[in-house]
Amino acid sequence: MSDQAINSGDNDELQALFDSIVNAGASKPAAAPPPAAAQAVVDDASSRAAAFTAAIETLDEPARSMFSSIGQLTRKVHDALREMGYDKSLEKAAAAIPDARDRLAYVATLTEQAANRTLNAVDAAQPLLNRIESDSATLQADWDKLFAKQLSLDEFKNLVGRTREHLKTSAHGAKVTNEQLLEIMMAQDFQDLTGQVIKKIVDMAKEMEGALLEFLVQFSPAGMGGGAPQKTLAEIDSSLENGPVYKTDGRTDVVTDQAGVDDLLASLGF
Amino acid sequence: MTDKNMRFLVVDDFSTMRRIVRNLLKELGFSNVEEAEDGQVALHKLKSSQFDFVVTDWNMPNMTGIELLRAVRADPTLKHLPVLMITAEAKKENIVEAAQAGASGYVVKPFTAATLDEKLAKIFQNMNK
Repeated sequence: MSDQAINSGDNDELQALFDSIVNAGASKPAAAPPPAAAQAVVDDASSRAAAFTAAIETLDEPARSMFSSIGQLTRKVHDALREMGYDKSLEKAAAAIPDARDRLAYVATLTEQAANRTLNAVDAAQPLLNRIESDSATLQADWDKLFAKQLSLDEFKNLVGRTREHLKTSAHGAKVTNEQLLEIMMAQDFQDLTGQVIKKIVDMAKEMEGALLEFLVQFSPAGMGGGAPQKTLAEIDSSLENGPVYKTDGRTDVVTDQAGVDDLLASLGF
Repeated sequence: MTDKNMRFLVVDDFSTMRRIVRNLLKELGFSNVEEAEDGQVALHKLKSSQFDFVVTDWNMPNMTGIELLRAVRADPTLKHLPVLMITAEAKKENIVEAAQAGASGYVVKPFTAATLDEKLAKIFQNMNK
């Protein structure tokens, strides 16, 4: 919706809305207006108001008063939307979608980086710890032999030398492992960053929802507004590729943990 | 006794998840692990070389895990392969669908090393029967 269209007080959306109301009215048998009159309303945009009034004049009660109140209502809704800034908020909401997409891409990138950093740190530290563990076991076995007086002097000298070397290796290993642990800790900073971004997206979604809901409530024919979003949700739900279940409250069609999977499979005989 | 040299194919479109599964398998003593980023690549690898075990995600581009499972079961040379699904899809429908398509096991994400170990053990047990 451009500013110009808003300022002129007339635009395609209003026209389309207007047409749909006219057509909806025409489809009701009891209140059917003469087709020619209705057509004139649709075709001639500049003299629309006049034609509308003229068309109403040709109608009988109660169709006449009904059309007249629909016309007034439409104008009122349009003016109210402008006054309350809904046209702007809808515009803002539409503009926010590419922004949200970028933010989500950012979240995906950051979390991937964090996972890789963490896994790299584990890869770096594990071999060192494995070596310290196996060396310690060997040395301990040899020291046990010494205490059991099973070692010669030369073997003892060798053991002392290896033990000294082992202490050096261990100190180095501990230092490197500590660095990697720090790295793992630092990699978690994505939580802070993505948390902020996600919070912004949630706020934005709320704002969009509010604006769109208001719009729907004002404009949708009675009985249709509330049902539509729920149907969409059900449609998404019927698919088998939904990704993680981020909200299990009030849902009976999902399992919440591995035990649920196992119970279900067992109950089916698998 | 399970052959620790058996060859695994880990199928997931997220490299981090492939890495985690690979590390967990290594932790359990299985270091002969190959990776594929979707069902199509996996099927090609399965047909062109010898594997003993398939671990697959569900939701992937090109060819999903369930399609891969069906393709494996439909292929006379591959149908004996154990297929363990590790996926975030937690709807009962999904689990039933996978079981009916012939999955050897089903693990929901997020999962632990202990869960993976337990499911693998159960599958090996069934294989040796």
